[in-house]
Amino acid sequence: MCGCGKCEELLQPYLDRELSVAEHAEAEAHLDDCSYCRRRYRFEEALRRFVHSAADEPMAPELRERLAALRIAL
Amino acid sequence: MRFEEDALALSDQVYRVARHLVGSREEAEDLMQETYARAFRSWRSFTPGTNLRAWLLRILTNLNIDRGRRLQRAPDLQPLEPNDYFLVDKLEEAGGPITDEERVDERLSQDSIVSALASVPHDFRDVIVLVDLGDFSYADAAQILDIPIGTVMSRLHRGRRILKAQLAEEAVG
Repeated sequence: MCGCGKCEELLQPYLDRELSVAEHAEAEAHLDDCSYCRRRYRFEEALRRFVHSAADEPMAPELRERLAALRIAL
Repeated sequence: MRFEEDALALSDQVYRVARHLVGSREEAEDLMQETYARAFRSWRSFTPGTNLRAWLLRILTNLNIDRGRRLQRAPDLQPLEPNDYFLVDKLEEAGGPITDEERVDERLSQDSIVSALASVPHDFRDVIVLVDLGDFSYADAAQILDIPIGTVMSRLHRGRRILKAQLAEEAVG
């Protein structure tokens, strides 16, 4: 296991694309060197995509109509 | 009116977030109707050129809080799982190395994601839903929830750990 706490600290903002350019480069460099973190970053990335798609529940067409009916006639 | 058409065009994206801020489809639909009714009434307070989706979500989250749907408080005493890799480590312990994306889908079900998300306490779930499902930046989420950006980051971090602990529990027991 990677003993570096830095990768864990950078993991979430890295995946959220919220790191500065320098921090992003630092994270990429670490991933190039550390296969333990690389595998886990890939898992986290895949999990993020899976959560995104699994939680997608389309809006009912009837609700769309009800929202449109709320428009205020000016 | 242009504002109304723009707001309606975003309704799918707003609903995607609303659905997981509350416990049921019915509640989400009620909340959407209240949000759009209020938005149409107060359209003059929207600054053109700013983020309309974030503005609608700000109304929606405020209504959600006003309606007392957030009685559940953060579980301050709940211990954190040891690290961000808790779920992947548990899945690998139970079923061997995870080598590609397909394996994530094989080991976790869609239903488990939805129920695990619903079990995350509101304060944490709100930020997960906005950032992970709504694709909002930390700054947008901070503005929508009216909390500091550092709080968004800490709740997101902790909320995702709670979510992963719940998924691990459902997947491997």
